[in-house]
Amino acid sequence: MNDNGCIHLSNFKAAKGTNPYKIVHAFFVSCTSFEARRYKATSCLCFACGQPGPRMHSCLHCIYFACYAGHIQEHSKSKKHFLYVDLSYGNVYCTQCQDYIYDRELTEIAMSHRLKEAKSLGISAPFMPWLPNTNEALALRRLRKRRLISPHTTIGLRGLQNLGSTCFMNCIVQTLIHTPLLRDYFLGEKHKCKAQGTGKCLVCEVSKLFQEFYSGAKTPLTLHRLLHLIWTHARHLAGYEQQDAHEFFIATLDVLHRHCMNGVEDTEKKENGRCNCIIDQIFTGGLQSDVVCTSCSGVSTTIDPFWDISLDVAGPGSLQACLERFTRAEHLGSAAKIKCSKCRAYRESTKQLTLETLPIVASFHLKRFEHSSQIDRKISAFVSFPAELDMTPFMSSHRRAVDVGVDNNNAPEGIFEDNRYSLFAVVNHLGSLDAGHYTAYVRQMKGSWFKCDDHMITRASLREVLDSEGYLLFYHKTVLEYECDVS
Amino acid sequence: MTVNNTIAHQRLILSGDRERFKELLRKRLIECGWRDQVRMLCRDVVKERENSDVSFDMLVNRVTPRARALVPDTVKKELLQKIKTHLLTQKDQ
Ligand SMILES: [Zn+2]
Ligand SMILES: [Zn+2]
Ligand SMILES: [Zn+2]
Ligand SMILES: [Zn+2]
Ligand SMILES: [Zn+2]
Ligand SMILES: [Zn+2]
Repeated sequence: MNDNGCIHLSNFKAAKGTNPYKIVHAFFVSCTSFEARRYKATSCLCFACGQPGPRMHSCLHCIYFACYAGHIQEHSKSKKHFLYVDLSYGNVYCTQCQDYIYDRELTEIAMSHRLKEAKSLGISAPFMPWLPNTNEALALRRLRKRRLISPHTTIGLRGLQNLGSTCFMNCIVQTLIHTPLLRDYFLGEKHKCKAQGTGKCLVCEVSKLFQEFYSGAKTPLTLHRLLHLIWTHARHLAGYEQQDAHEFFIATLDVLHRHCMNGVEDTEKKENGRCNCIIDQIFTGGLQSDVVCTSCSGVSTTIDPFWDISLDVAGPGSLQACLERFTRAEHLGSAAKIKCSKCRAYRESTKQLTLETLPIVASFHLKRFEHSSQIDRKISAFVSFPAELDMTPFMSSHRRAVDVGVDNNNAPEGIFEDNRYSLFAVVNHLGSLDAGHYTAYVRQMKGSWFKCDDHMITRASLREVLDSEGYLLFYHKTVLEYECDVS
Repeated sequence: MTVNNTIAHQRLILSGDRERFKELLRKRLIECGWRDQVRMLCRDVVKERENSDVSFDMLVNRVTPRARALVPDTVKKELLQKIKTHLLTQKDQ
């Protein structure tokens, strides 16, 4: 195998350019249009033996289709055509050199066609490994210090001092620090700040915090500055008395999202009406609400963004059961009539919530604290939750398919979708409502868990995590899709 | 390939679903580490022949049997099941 091309391919390119390759590739390898797919579907058979393989190739000189079981060799002998495109992978074979020949220019054409094809089929772009650009290669050469991250590394694990009932904050900070995509964003120094140096940007503060967590030092950290900044930005959370970790989580996302917005131009701020900041990219999903009128069966649908899902805890059960209940159609009854736009009258209706789009990080809040006028109480019922969770059953598209019945539907929804999630953090509340304490379990590498109890970090088992009384559960999407970037 | 098989195959290409399945398979093979394993197998073959040229055919002959055996059953099952379901729902259209 040669990655510098060969004399036969060079001569061919000099005489005919890259157009022949472009045409064969766009029509028979990565179809960039429906028309191309029609050609490919009907004509990819060996002209000599009529078989679809093994390893179909097309002659680059005259678009003669032949298989690798002797027929490209035959064609090559009789016509003196030496170059063939493999129709499955797009590589060029030279019968003179008797091997595949790699050529940078042709490889680039192939890649751009693959992206176009992916886009036209609505599938995620093919994975492309990271390659350093000139600046990055330079930086890598200049910075000689390397750190090897082993599967058993404890880098990134640091305790947090309790500054007097600040465990509600510590457990959320530990969760955010161990959110894989957020970590990659900050350690990749992706935050470009407009308010740089003023010391007022909370995103910059979080960025610094990531650096300190992953510096390799092991002594517990103190969050004075962060506390101060949050105190100035979310006054309702200020003070040193015990707070709710869930409220703090949402408030932190909100403050970070607002600070991200400060740093960017108005034009980049929103993509199809939605904020595109790192917080929204990771945590925002879409909740669909369908209200069906019981008289005319008219449906009114709304979709709202969400950062987390709050689930009722009725008694012992499972996370899946809670989600099942959350997405079940519910009759609103005669006391809650809604104006139907079709009937032009107030009607009884049913309401169903489903997940229209899923966030990369799915955060679940088990409502263990009940506040009513009579009594404030904590529900300590055990709710089991899995290490791996498939969200497909709770998706709007799936629910629709189930309601309609799979028989008269097209391709079953979700066949190419991947909605699997894996657990990476759990926040627990121990003790009673007024004398409680927060701790968190975080996943370091896949399968290795640690318990964060303020300044103390101890190793934990997955069993221990799953047996704990979860309050906030954090799941990360297992497989990330790549976005097509074709102009 | 029988006539029926050919038609099913053509339909899969035409609708783009063949590419979708291919992409799904590619993803699964990357996810479970298969691709890295095969890469290591190839590297071993190349290393073995340090001083002589390695051709694509030789690499394919040496690596394919072992690479095939390394594909996890769960991946095969998932693909088979999904393709089956897919073809059945397409049949009466
Ligand atoms: Zn030819
Ligand atoms: Zn043939
Ligand atoms: Zn050649
Ligand atoms: Zn900043
Ligand atoms: Zn935002
Ligand atoms: Zn109505």
